[in-house]
Amino acid sequence: MIILLIAVLLLLAALGAPLFALIAAIALLGFNAAGQSGTAVAIEFYRLADMPALIAIPLFTLAGYLLAESQAPRRLVRLTNALFGWLPGGLAIVSICACTLFTAFTGATGVTLVALGAVLYPALRQAQYPERFSLGLLTCSGSLGLLLVPSMPLILYGVVAQQFHTTPPVAIDALFKAGLLPCLLMIVVLSLYSAWMARGLPRPERTSRREVWAALKDAAWELPLPFVVLAGIYSGKLAASEAAAATALYVLIVTVLIRREIRLPELPRVIREAMLLVGAILIVLGFSLALTNWLIDGDVPERLFAVMKAGIDSKIGFLLLLNAFLLVFGMLLEGFPAIIILVPLVLPVALHYGVDPVHLGIIFLANLQIGIFLPPVGMNIFIASARFGRPATSIIRASLPFYALLMLCVLIITYWPGLSLALVR
Amino acid sequence: MSSEHATSRFLHHLHRIENGLLAILVLVLVGLAGTQIVLRIFFETGLAWADSFSRSLVLWTGMLGALAAVRDDKHIALDVLQRFLAPRAQYAARLVTLGFAALLCAAMAWYGTGLVAIDYAEGLQSSGGSVVGALRACFAESILPVAFGLMALRFALRAFAPPAHAPVLLHDPGSAAP
Repeated sequence: MIILLIAVLLLLAALGAPLFALIAAIALLGFNAAGQSGTAVAIEFYRLADMPALIAIPLFTLAGYLLAESQAPRRLVRLTNALFGWLPGGLAIVSICACTLFTAFTGATGVTLVALGAVLYPALRQAQYPERFSLGLLTCSGSLGLLLVPSMPLILYGVVAQQFHTTPPVAIDALFKAGLLPCLLMIVVLSLYSAWMARGLPRPERTSRREVWAALKDAAWELPLPFVVLAGIYSGKLAASEAAAATALYVLIVTVLIRREIRLPELPRVIREAMLLVGAILIVLGFSLALTNWLIDGDVPERLFAVMKAGIDSKIGFLLLLNAFLLVFGMLLEGFPAIIILVPLVLPVALHYGVDPVHLGIIFLANLQIGIFLPPVGMNIFIASARFGRPATSIIRASLPFYALLMLCVLIITYWPGLSLALVR
Repeated sequence: MSSEHATSRFLHHLHRIENGLLAILVLVLVGLAGTQIVLRIFFETGLAWADSFSRSLVLWTGMLGALAAVRDDKHIALDVLQRFLAPRAQYAARLVTLGFAALLCAAMAWYGTGLVAIDYAEGLQSSGGSVVGALRACFAESILPVAFGLMALRFALRAFAPPAHAPVLLHDPGSAAP
């Protein structure tokens, strides 16, 4: 009977049933088997209204979508180009930095790919960067920034992990601090590679002071944002949810009332787009709260650890397995759902192996970041394919060196906890 | 023909109401959270009811967002296999999977009603029989049966409709294809 149920659910999953419905089905069946009514699942789901950190998610997402729909991407590219464009491989480095900042704010890698890809791809080609390099660079840069403040997946990891009351605790601002150096590592590695790839290209001219000043003035309204968010959170003056509220309010006023790049009648549609993403994530989270409770009641993480301990007794072995596992899951499920579903299972086991819960969050996100554009079915491959009008196979081929580079970074991040924890502990 | 026209106009208005409600709730959330920061930093005070109210707003906007996501086929799913199916098989797959989602949502609407009923009864008791007090006790969670009920309905309708292909951005800066 159980095997039949599992087979049916797996088939439904493969056919494309919404993930939340699958989790809800498992939770309802599980609670039923434990002799509890379905109302208990509704009660667990309602715990969504009892998580103070959760408020940061709709607010940051709204801010990100408003920025994406405005002219901010163009201004961001202009400014980073004025600042870094003259370096060898300058425009490639501009692409990396602009994408990183943008994904950090939207948390949606596909949106970055669409919004910035449209500006950056023609620019890269015009500066005579090879087509293959340009495609690969942009496809991979789309998901950079997941580790940087105020990335929504990082907040989501914190929200889910906080249920376990670990020692040391997983504070959201600790995660933000932990993500900084690993994110820089990836940016530096990709930038060095880009500079090397661009060594044969004509060196761009140094930007005139006037253009730097004009670009600064052009972006004057957006410029304070990263600083307020970074300074507010790193100094401890603002909680993550407060930084989110300040950002959302500020961006709303600037894009709608001051710059008027989103007209008032269009605002409900933009809000809807943002909340669509939030709703799709929260509903999965709600049911997974119920599922997690059931798993813990059934001692599933403990049993999982017992089984794994028989085969793997070292922390390194565990982390290696975790990397492979997360890459596959990240490819199949994108970042958010993978975090919601896997953290409750993996976190207790990882604690047994002596992995720091904050470091684990960084490992999670670093792996998922690659999974998002990993062949054969990583989501961003298809978004890039549609955006750049190239078949998916070309995108995959173009991304090959970038997989290698980012894998290298992930290995460093995984096996060198100090890189993540230096700013935290 | 004219009845079809009337239906589509009705749907159009319904969608506008849905979008408008979502927008208003989100704007209230942003405004309230902003006010709280100003009050805390500059006046070292705050509205006592604001925190629990904003947390309820997060749930409400989330549920309405989830309802909107059904309309655009934006719920998170593994759509690996669907890409490779023949068009006919794709429609069959939609029928099965979205029908399944509709059933689950209907079940959750039912259990959500159960939750509301429990808290209504408790509210009635603790407020000494006041209906207003009882409604206050269960108002925030009433979004669960309402939203799940509407989602069940919409999933059932979407199961027979062709897949939606909504763009990622509304203001698309244009194709980057050379």
